[in-house]
Amino acid sequence: MRFEGKTAIVTGGSNGIGRACVARLVAEGARVAMVDFCDLEVSQAAADEMKDAPGEIVPFQADVRDADRATELVNQLFDQWERIDVLINSAGIVRDGLMAAMTQQQWLDVIGVNLGGTYNYCHAVTQPMMMNRSGSIVNLSSTGAEFPSRGQVNYAASKGGVNGLTRSLAKELASRNVRVNAVAPGMIETGMSAAVRGMVGEKELKKIIPLRRIGQPEDVAQAATFLASDDASYVTGQILRVDGGLSLGGY
Amino acid sequence: MPTKDEVFEKIQTALVDALGVDDEDVTPDATLVGDLGAESIDFLDIVFRLEKSFEIKIPRGELFPEDVLTNADYIQDGRVTDVGVEELRKRMPFANLDDFAKNPVVQDFGSLLTVADMCRFVEGKVEVTD
Ligand SMILES: NC(=O)c1ccc[n+]([C@@H]2O[C@H](COP(=O)([O-])OP(=O)(O)OC[C@H]3O[C@@H](n4cnc5c(N)ncnc54)[C@H](O)[C@@H]3O)[C@@H](O)[C@H]2O)c1
Repeated sequence: MRFEGKTAIVTGGSNGIGRACVARLVAEGARVAMVDFCDLEVSQAAADEMKDAPGEIVPFQADVRDADRATELVNQLFDQWERIDVLINSAGIVRDGLMAAMTQQQWLDVIGVNLGGTYNYCHAVTQPMMMNRSGSIVNLSSTGAEFPSRGQVNYAASKGGVNGLTRSLAKELASRNVRVNAVAPGMIETGMSAAVRGMVGEKELKKIIPLRRIGQPEDVAQAATFLASDDASYVTGQILRVDGGLSLGGY
Repeated sequence: MPTKDEVFEKIQTALVDALGVDDEDVTPDATLVGDLGAESIDFLDIVFRLEKSFEIKIPRGELFPEDVLTNADYIQDGRVTDVGVEELRKRMPFANLDDFAKNPVVQDFGSLLTVADMCRFVEGKVEVTD
């Protein structure tokens, strides 16, 4: 029960990795704001599935690109909870396409959600966390930032941006005992990776992953909640790869 | 309406909390940077705390107009120009810039603001009684 009496905000919390993070946090006693773009009923249904957990979930509908909404939401939670202990930024999208065919909209959408959304929520929690002299932010990066695939100029740039933001903010907030880290998943079985998994084939993928399996959202959630918890009390500014060894290269 | 003493006490609390200094370090003529060890992020922290305890809004850059010191129009060879000093006086009516103006080295600017300046700053924002 590492999160008993603690509060958390998880963006993109209704599906995939974000949802697995929410599950882990409530299982260990946290009060969690599940922030997602999708219909509130979808989030509520996801929350209902975890209703036996010791913690508590409050779903919110919000687009992480909306900076004012981020501030408003965080301030509302801070007034109510008087503390924001954890922020996990998991909202993210892909809009793949080769550069020559990429539209500006594809570029703006991915940068706006993955990098802009991360900025918006980091910005909104900075003041409450600074004031409380404690807090832990975990951003969802991707191994794709450093080991890019074709057709992901927008995505790789957004996640490279997340890495830079993570390290830089870690330095800024360290003196306030606020830690900022990221996890960089490899190939994880969620809606986001369905197309790639379908295209390349799971069998082929497993051949190139040293641990010989596609990752599960829970694999990433375990790493993310480690960084979010006091177990990682001396870890800041790090990008932790959770990829079954995919990025190790070699033979 | 707070009295001047109450303003001082609240500021003292804000500084003790933000900077981790002791109550007795926070005297009216203590300088924020030199004596109390404030860094740039601390000014934000202090502003947050003042906003909360006095229920006021303090626009960023009002207490410590860093933007003037990074503006090439106001700085020459590491010194604040005459126009720059005028701008600082306009922006910081609560601070006494006379000593600084005699030798306006940018680097020294940080160590100029005192706790008493800060009290005057807040007194300009809330109505005080005697
Ligand atoms: N699945 C993978 O293989 C993989 C690999 C590396 C990194 N990641 C990263 O992990 C994070 C989570 O991905 P996932 O696989 O769980 O994806 P997912 O599609 O399963 O879930 C993402 C969630 O984010 C929400 N979302 C999307 N845009 C939003 C917006 N504008 N505002 C609010 N919410 C929004 C979606 O509604 C969804 O619930 C993403 O940042 C992704 O880039 C995933």
